[in-house]
Amino acid sequence: MLAMIILIPLLPLLGFMILVLARKYLTDRISAFVGVGSIGLSAILVAVVAYTYFSQDPEPLRFQLWTWMSVRGFSAEFGFYIDALAVTMMLIITGIGFLIHLYSVGYMAGDPGFPRFFAYMNLFIAAMLILVMADNLVLLFLGWEGVGLCSYLLIGFWYDNPENGYAARKAFVVTRIGDTAMMLGLFFLYRELGHLDIQAMLESAVELWPVGTDPAFWAALLLFGGAVGKSAQLPLQTWLPDAMAGPTPISALIHAATMVTAGVYLIARTHELFILAPDVQQMVAILGALTLLMSAFTALTQSDIKRVLAYSTMSQIGYMFLALGVGAWSAAIFHLMTHAFFKALLFLTAGAVILAVHHEQNIFKMGGLWRRMPLTFTIFLIGSCALVALPFTSGYYSKHEILAAAYQVHWCFWLAGVIGALLTAVYTSRLIIIAFFGRQNTEPHECKEPVIMVPLIILAVLALFGALLQTPLESVFVPAFAEPEQPSSVVAFIETVVPFIGIAIAYLCFYENPYYAKIKERFLPRLGYVGKLLDTERVAELKIYSFLASGWGMDRLYDILFVNPFKMLAAKNKNDVVDDVYTGVTILSRGLYSIFSWTQNGQLRRYAWVLGLGAVVVIGVGILA
Amino acid sequence: MSTLPMEHGLFLVAILFSIGLIGVLVRRNLLFMLMSVEIMLNAVGLAFIVVGSRWGQADGQVMFLLILTLAAAEVGVGLGLLLQINRRHRSLDVDVLNQMQE
Repeated sequence: MLAMIILIPLLPLLGFMILVLARKYLTDRISAFVGVGSIGLSAILVAVVAYTYFSQDPEPLRFQLWTWMSVRGFSAEFGFYIDALAVTMMLIITGIGFLIHLYSVGYMAGDPGFPRFFAYMNLFIAAMLILVMADNLVLLFLGWEGVGLCSYLLIGFWYDNPENGYAARKAFVVTRIGDTAMMLGLFFLYRELGHLDIQAMLESAVELWPVGTDPAFWAALLLFGGAVGKSAQLPLQTWLPDAMAGPTPISALIHAATMVTAGVYLIARTHELFILAPDVQQMVAILGALTLLMSAFTALTQSDIKRVLAYSTMSQIGYMFLALGVGAWSAAIFHLMTHAFFKALLFLTAGAVILAVHHEQNIFKMGGLWRRMPLTFTIFLIGSCALVALPFTSGYYSKHEILAAAYQVHWCFWLAGVIGALLTAVYTSRLIIIAFFGRQNTEPHECKEPVIMVPLIILAVLALFGALLQTPLESVFVPAFAEPEQPSSVVAFIETVVPFIGIAIAYLCFYENPYYAKIKERFLPRLGYVGKLLDTERVAELKIYSFLASGWGMDRLYDILFVNPFKMLAAKNKNDVVDDVYTGVTILSRGLYSIFSWTQNGQLRRYAWVLGLGAVVVIGVGILA
Repeated sequence: MSTLPMEHGLFLVAILFSIGLIGVLVRRNLLFMLMSVEIMLNAVGLAFIVVGSRWGQADGQVMFLLILTLAAAEVGVGLGLLLQINRRHRSLDVDVLNQMQE
């Protein structure tokens, strides 16, 4: 068991080492073999571990490998802590990660950076595995930073284009803000509790801090700051849409299996701490609800297929935060899992579509694709159904668990979730109607390579039936409610019906049909401002549309608040103030030099004069003093 | 033996020394500067003798002998250098010879 556990993160790491060190000598075939094989092996190991773990009584397993560092009373172990939560995350990371790797072999074929791509991907998986398996917060932080580094490397993978480099830097810097909060949280926890081992830390926190006290509040708040940055929630969400600059499999990896789920995992892992700080927990729920609504509105206005999906991810992570905030821990992890299935599926299918239409990402330039690429269309439709949470897809079950818990805590949260579900249905249907129906604008070439299609089909099956794989998490999470009340049938009915309403709205608004066009012409002017909003032909002229399309102007706001003042300061301080000290020293010594060099002029008689005068002065002083 | 007051002797020493110093400072010819240095040395030697005779000690005269030897050696070296400089630069003007600064 121990050997297997160690091998799970070690195999991707080894793959990374091989690919990085020998990338000049490896053919694309071999590097694909190494890159995919390492993840595949580790996925098999995870499956075995999960099977043995869940088949026996689920007791958490601990493996202390060695002492990582030990400085004056502070020590961090290099150890793994395996419980149901960690196993679930490992299953998602390696399983989805493996399918994405497999798909990448087809997607990235012929790219000059092929081995480099797989090297980074392997490192990404390794870092994420260390993050979820770590038994102390320092090791978790190592994985956390590793994930951040890999996201930077992969978002800027095509570094020839300066825009990609900008997007990569933005992702790195914005998540860094969250990381700083998290680091402060670690310092705080160490100062207050004396150790950073997660389980021991949580135990002593529960012992020492009564519910709602200040230290619990600060510790939870700082950790939450880290989670907000990594999971792209309000107010640190701006990096995620720009992260679409990377190759499409990266988007799938970042959005489904790794990176953005890290924040959800962190909160779930330290949920005892959040229970101690009800204020912070409420903040989690509120920020989650806000993010889910804001990004769903923005997704309505995007024209880039990947950006629609990016905002959709933010919205779905918002659901997870909402679930965490209302104490539905296992529902959050369940939604994380189903979301990983269908979002990976959607991104990879979007990648297949983008390949088919020659790297065109604007949905308005696609149109009518369904007839030309029926298989891809069907798969995309399955993913969308799960995202919209149509009955009997995996997304349906997870989203309903969240909504039920939200309803029990406060109806506002529930309402936000339902409106979010409605918007999800609208923007997803809009995407499908515009990209796959309507006039055909390009000539697609459907890619039917098995290496691309097989992962898609597996993921489609998972997106449909993945809810059956729900792992038992009762051993980790105490249920939020002693007796979960069954939501009334009206509530359940609304939840089920809302997606269909959304689809109907999208159909009426976006589907091109001469009959509807006539009705629209008749009625829309009578509806006033609402009519203008519903008029899809001209809505883009409205101010609110461009406001939403720019992501609620958050980028501009941050530019004004932070970026521009910083740039101004930097411009003012072009000749570094600190440098002035050092230039001052040189100016002084240069001045002294010029004075003394004036005295050394070779005029022998002047020397004699100075000598004589000096002697007179010295003797005079000697006599008089 | 009529004795000269010490003050007179020292006055002469001061005059001699000043003449020598001014010579060093104002002459431009190295040969004359060297000669002025000799005058200064002799002024100092005279001072030793005057002071020695005032207290009836032989030390003053011993010191004068030492200074005399030193002056002889110095003149030997100085004249040698002077000849070399003259041969090389065809001039003994110190203001012309200030090439040491480069």
